[in-house]
Amino acid sequence: MTDRSLDILIDEVVLGLASEADVARLEALAAQDPDVAARVEQARRRFAPLDDTAEELPVPAGLWDRIARALDAPQDDAARPARDNTVVDLATMRRHLNRWRVGASAAIAASLVLAGLLGWTMTRSVDPLVVAVLQDESGAVIALVESNADNTTSVTLLERPGVPPDQVMQVWTKPDDDGLPVSLGLLPTARSSVLMVDGLPAPHSDQLYEITFEPAGGSPTNLPTGPILGKGLAKEPVS
Amino acid sequence: MLGVARRILRRTDLAEEALQEALVLVWRKAHQFDESRGNARGWLYTILRNRCLTMLRNEDREVPVAPEDLDTPPDDVMLETAFDRLGHASDLRRCLERLDGESRRAILATYVLGYSHGEIAGRLDAPLGSVKSRVRRGLMKLRECLS
Repeated sequence: MTDRSLDILIDEVVLGLASEADVARLEALAAQDPDVAARVEQARRRFAPLDDTAEELPVPAGLWDRIARALDAPQDDAARPARDNTVVDLATMRRHLNRWRVGASAAIAASLVLAGLLGWTMTRSVDPLVVAVLQDESGAVIALVESNADNTTSVTLLERPGVPPDQVMQVWTKPDDDGLPVSLGLLPTARSSVLMVDGLPAPHSDQLYEITFEPAGGSPTNLPTGPILGKGLAKEPVS
Repeated sequence: MLGVARRILRRTDLAEEALQEALVLVWRKAHQFDESRGNARGWLYTILRNRCLTMLRNEDREVPVAPEDLDTPPDDVMLETAFDRLGHASDLRRCLERLDGESRRAILATYVLGYSHGEIAGRLDAPLGSVKSRVRRGLMKLRECLS
């Protein structure tokens, strides 16, 4: 295949114009050749800004429940990965699935699905000590917060937040239930990220986490001043 | 993510179904994700878009055409909105602006609304072959401009 025809194939697959056969052909090429895979990724990135132009819609109530039920239903064999070459991955999946079956509540179900999402964005060897699902006033899930014993906190946004101009998102927690909120850091790019802060006690169950909108650079008072995007109480994952 | 699905499927209920199915797929395929080959966000959106396109093009599914059943504005309004919302500093916007209007709308319609070549040809009342080559020329120009 010439370079030009490969470029066209890649673009047509990314745009969604290619036939199923062409999509499969490109996937096979990309699986064999890292250079092709990199070119596909580059093409995806070219068009990705268009994903951000869609309306922001609240996640419907009950979505995580329905996903939970779908995941619990037996998969057909064709979709199940071969055991031989994916032993490690399967073990991880099973552990997640088992946890989830124990959990059974919607909030825990949501956290686990989201923990799965988060798993790819950071390579993490330790399970979080606590997980909090942050919800807005209407109860829509907007972010997942996971924190380790050293307060390394990863924040995964689940809805593109409408950050007012000249403002940033700031993440807070209350290590002492009766004390003042403490800043864990800013999300200046309005993207999911990992925050680190020293000098706080290890997070505990029912610890409050919240995200507020603050002036650029963070809250001037070092306490939350802006509207709350979402908040939630931490829970310890079932182990 | 729901907004991306609703632009393609035009109905909130179908979009929610697509999002749910995509997230289940994501969960099941998580072991296939290879960080070295791209970011997780792009991977998520790719799975979601593919799910939507499959739903859209699967003839067994009822996809409504009656305007009163749609939860979205008319197609040309959605395209203009998408284009307007691209940041003014965005390279994609700058390069799309350099294309002629028909090619720009055709390329935007495929990505944003999930149009096929046939649907573009129908809208433009143009032969399928010339639509395909028009889109390809547009894509090559975009690629040159963006690289």
